[in-house]
Amino acid sequence: MNLDAAFLTALLLSTLRQTTPLLLTALGGMFSERSGVTNIALEGILLFGALTAAVVVERLEAALGPGPHPWLPWVGVLAAMGVGGLVAFVHALVSIRYRADQIISATALNLLALGAPSLVLTYFYGNATSSKEVANRLPLLLGLSPLVYLAFLLVPVAWWVLFKTPFGLRLRAVGEHPEAADTLGVNVHRMRYVGVVLSGVLAGLAGAYLSIGFLNQFVRGMSAGMGFIALAAMIFGNWHPLGILLSTLLFGFASALAIQLQGTEILPAVLVQAFPYVVTVLVLAGFIGRSRPPGAVGKPYEK
Amino acid sequence: MRADSRRLGLLVLLGGGLTLLLWYLAPWAVPHRLFGGEGVLLNPFGHHLPTGGLPHGYRDAWLFPCFSLALAWLLLSLGLPWRAGPRGLYLAGALGLGLFLLTYLLFQRSVAEVNWGAERPLLRRYSLGLGSYATLGYSLYLLLLARVYSPGGLAFLVRRREVVVPLFSLLLASLLGGAMVAVLKESPGTAGSLREALMLKLDLVTYAYQLLYSPLVNPSGFLQSLLLATPLIFTGLSVALGFRGGLFNIGAPGQLILGAIAAMLVGVYLPGPRALVLPLAVLAAALAGGLWGALVGWLKARFGAHEVINTIMFNYIAASLFLFLISANEYKFLGHTLYLPFKYPGYEARSYEVRPEARIPLWTDLLAPGGELSFALPLALLLGLLGYLLVRRSLGHRVLAAFLLGTAGYAVGGLLPGIPVSFGPDLTSVRLNGAFLLAVLALFFFHLYVFRTVGGYELRAMGLAPKAAEYGGVPPGKKAVLILFLSGALAGLAATHYVLGGGIDEYRLKQSLPYSVGFDGIAVALMGQNTPLGVGLAAWLFGILLTGGLQVNLQLGISRELVAVLQALVVLFIAAGGFLPRYFTDPLRAAEVELREEAARG
Repeated sequence: MNLDAAFLTALLLSTLRQTTPLLLTALGGMFSERSGVTNIALEGILLFGALTAAVVVERLEAALGPGPHPWLPWVGVLAAMGVGGLVAFVHALVSIRYRADQIISATALNLLALGAPSLVLTYFYGNATSSKEVANRLPLLLGLSPLVYLAFLLVPVAWWVLFKTPFGLRLRAVGEHPEAADTLGVNVHRMRYVGVVLSGVLAGLAGAYLSIGFLNQFVRGMSAGMGFIALAAMIFGNWHPLGILLSTLLFGFASALAIQLQGTEILPAVLVQAFPYVVTVLVLAGFIGRSRPPGAVGKPYEK
Repeated sequence: MRADSRRLGLLVLLGGGLTLLLWYLAPWAVPHRLFGGEGVLLNPFGHHLPTGGLPHGYRDAWLFPCFSLALAWLLLSLGLPWRAGPRGLYLAGALGLGLFLLTYLLFQRSVAEVNWGAERPLLRRYSLGLGSYATLGYSLYLLLLARVYSPGGLAFLVRRREVVVPLFSLLLASLLGGAMVAVLKESPGTAGSLREALMLKLDLVTYAYQLLYSPLVNPSGFLQSLLLATPLIFTGLSVALGFRGGLFNIGAPGQLILGAIAAMLVGVYLPGPRALVLPLAVLAAALAGGLWGALVGWLKARFGAHEVINTIMFNYIAASLFLFLISANEYKFLGHTLYLPFKYPGYEARSYEVRPEARIPLWTDLLAPGGELSFALPLALLLGLLGYLLVRRSLGHRVLAAFLLGTAGYAVGGLLPGIPVSFGPDLTSVRLNGAFLLAVLALFFFHLYVFRTVGGYELRAMGLAPKAAEYGGVPPGKKAVLILFLSGALAGLAATHYVLGGGIDEYRLKQSLPYSVGFDGIAVALMGQNTPLGVGLAAWLFGILLTGGLQVNLQLGISRELVAVLQALVVLFIAAGGFLPRYFTDPLRAAEVELREEAARG
């Protein structure tokens, strides 16, 4: 093993890149769960976001003709956020208005994200597994995508919103004790809709990062369980922005390590790829006892 | 009562209007269809006839009289409900059914006339169109309204909510799926006007669904649907068992992978006689899947780790393990080299072939070994069932009797002389195998365990009221481990179909192992409402759709994933109770409805 400087730099940059989608998604999941709704559909929303960003940018490129369009990827990002919010809204509608089991509702959306992209890809590109490559991907700032900086910037913002604003107080109240919040005049359902949609918007953003920031096309199954890992990181991070930052950094480091070890003779790549998942299992087993989820999470509220 | 009858009239009017619209827009019959979906569309308001028009000699004189009759019937039905009440609706519905039958017979006859002694290629790809199906749909709708609006009708529906909610969800999903097909696929053929364009679209959607359900009327498609249903029965039961015990097992894919690995290990590396190796291989699959599930249960019981995320993580870990075993034989660990014996030489990631002794026979070998229809299996099943039904003692005695009589039946049936039969190549090419019988046995096991034993009672108690079950003496941790063990074992058994039964055309572990059927099990369990009969039927339904999906892809170029999308939508809609009123999902409110109707009837 020769851990030289180049290896370490690459590992560090890779850690930041791998952490970004997890961090965005986990922060989103935090808003949703703090409002009292579990959202394991984040995995599917990541895929929908990634698909939307890639297809929107590629289609616009085809319509606008050649030439660099620096604003184009941002349209893709916005579209991905919109679609992410929309899919999350469906989850919110079914689980808040129709009081469905939140895990089943979200699983349905995850199943949808396994099938629907193929239909869309077949329609546009004639193959069911990947989109065409886009020419205008997100730009790089000092070697990293701007979304990387944005994700890390969102940590203090999320902290401030959650703990220093009336909105954050209401959101937490609704997730902790909806009856009490309702008595005080907080609209429980509306706060929950906002929380869930916010999680979808952030997961959609993370999806856009995957398809037009990290790569330059949509590939089937490209989220590879990141949505679930983000959820585990959120639990590990105790539903707190700073905790989430630390835990996603740990998972990001695990994934980065897996990538950096590929092709070396240190460990076989197929096994190292399982590393983040094993870490998740260990984390859930070892630390969940200490964390405390929001009191009303997973339960439909009825006046 | 007044408001009720007005509402009924409105509902009839709505259905009638929709039917009329469909009659006007959609084709009534498609006597001929080209490859690619372009059809000769017949409609009483003017035909859309591409490429040469009607097939030579085809007569469509039946169309207009049929339409006039149907119109008279529709007007009658619109006038009836205010006066005659449910009885009139029953009559109208029955008349409509008769009318549809008449249309069907006349259409079949005119097709048969053309084909009779024809010199040109026969008409093969013909079918009724959406217009005719609208007649059928409206008749059924009227019958349903009649039932609902007769006394106690709502209670009747609410009592059957386990059927109503999934079917209604399927209907909604199909409508949405149809809309998606209409948007995503250009209609074949050229339209001259807006009405023609709509006609082509409606025909396209109808054709897609006809293809999707075509395995119902086509023998090889039928067998293929059973083949595809086999793993779904196992994974559906796996998820359903978890649900019954209040646990959500999303880990069926991983448990299936572990089952497949174990089945391969025994099947390839354990020499011995068939009577020993085959059962051992099957048991190994169940055991491995079960242990993989039980591990998650243990993590939950011991550390409180939630099973949902853990089962998902275990899926990914299992997939890595699977690739590790069969994608290479040589790995480097910290500079040391590790050699594995599992991968078959060559480019493809696959294991060695399972020995012949460990293979589950194909259906042809079970039903007609050596080209002679054998009585062994039917007799064994018949006697087994009789044994179970006739012995009237404890469950253990009944199962034992069924087993003994079944074995006897198998032995006696094997001695009887067989009848020589031969199957066409389209039938023998379907790789339906004995794993299907295992799946049916698993359905029985599920029923007996969950609904007829103390353990099953405890399991259901845990699912319905975990705290009450705990106070009643059910140890929740141990029970969770057991539930996930059984659940994983069922998922692991699904692997026998692929590895030992040759379900994916080879008797070995391959990278193309479709382990995502573990996720499809969620849809199957929900559609089947966690009952064995429901799971069996739902698995079969999805088997049909998956088989039909191949046809849709082949003939219309629509991605097979359409079926996956339909499944996902069904799950979503069932989760939301089919968007039906609350009393269809909430047992307390359902009871309220029943009591109210009881009181109203006096």
